[in-house]
Amino acid sequence: MSDDDWLVLPGTDRTPVSIGRVVTSPATIGTFVLLVVPFALGWLKSALFSPLALPSYVLYGIGTAIGDAIAPRFDFWLYWIPFLASCVGISVTIGFGYEWWRERADDDSSERL
Amino acid sequence: MRRRTILAAGSALAGTVAAGFVSQPSGDHRLLTAAREPGDAGETNTNTERLLPGTVHETRLHEIDAPRDGPTAMVFGGIHGDERNGIAVAREITEWHPDAGTLVVVPETDRVAVENDEREGVDGNLNRHFPADREPVSELARGIWDAVETRDPDVVLDLHRSLGIYDFHRQYVGQAVFHSPDAHGDALADALDDDSVPWYLPFHRFTARETDLSGPLLFQKAARELEASTYLFETTEFLLDQPTRNEMTRLAAARVLELHGLLETGGDA
Repeated sequence: MSDDDWLVLPGTDRTPVSIGRVVTSPATIGTFVLLVVPFALGWLKSALFSPLALPSYVLYGIGTAIGDAIAPRFDFWLYWIPFLASCVGISVTIGFGYEWWRERADDDSSERL
Repeated sequence: MRRRTILAAGSALAGTVAAGFVSQPSGDHRLLTAAREPGDAGETNTNTERLLPGTVHETRLHEIDAPRDGPTAMVFGGIHGDERNGIAVAREITEWHPDAGTLVVVPETDRVAVENDEREGVDGNLNRHFPADREPVSELARGIWDAVETRDPDVVLDLHRSLGIYDFHRQYVGQAVFHSPDAHGDALADALDDDSVPWYLPFHRFTARETDLSGPLLFQKAARELEASTYLFETTEFLLDQPTRNEMTRLAAARVLELHGLLETGGDA
């Protein structure tokens, strides 16, 4: 089984989206950059927080609130680890959805031709 | 594709920096200018004295008399020695110019803790040394309380910082204004939200909470025994850097002085 055979959509016998394509998708990279960069800038210097950091601020903030309730001894900077993992998960999910949509759009175009 | 991705990432970076600068709250320059510059009524007169002279706790108290009569306010920094925003801002306040009344400032209340950059000094946590119905329980606390009783302040403001956010992180009390029943806690929190908390940092909005006066904290004892309007201000280290914490603390101090009539901002300038 190759990487290209990894993602098979339900109800199909084709291999529409490969791992490599999802990971290098502009949607994946763009989402990751948008989630991490604005928040990291604000984390380094508060004056650089901007509205673009709001989604990550909410994600990181809620993560620390839950973590603090469960395990109050951890320093807050440690929450960067689950935060980055969450950002990767969200980015890959959006990248997969985008590539799948592109694949379907291409197929529809071919059928019309 | 790679070039386009890099361009997009660069644009996002530039955009977020620009958006950050454009959408910052403006602060309140009028209020801070009124605090830093002498008013129309004339110059202030400052007197500095030493508390607990000749002891390990020796620290400075600055008393600033405004040209007009008015209430007496006391501001404390450094009750916890590692909460640098309160120390830095209290030092600044020693050079402020109230328009009315008397402003008394102790920037390094627990001087040993401040010098060691630690929360507690030689006798432990100073802000647990002012129990109800008893004398303060340490030499330092008694010295501080003597200075408070002597001035009999109308207003007391104690400056602190926490590691997390009150009502959000279970064990922390940051971004909160604890106050005595007759103080302007809600007005102070609302003003701080307007002046210093961007709308896109909603967890950092300030909370006002009336305090239980039976506790062993300095601001509780001052409210309980001297019937002063008292505040304990807490900002947070969570996602806020030192300059931002200092600015919030500075605005809190200036707003308290304005709310109690020591500072005049000249109306809607």
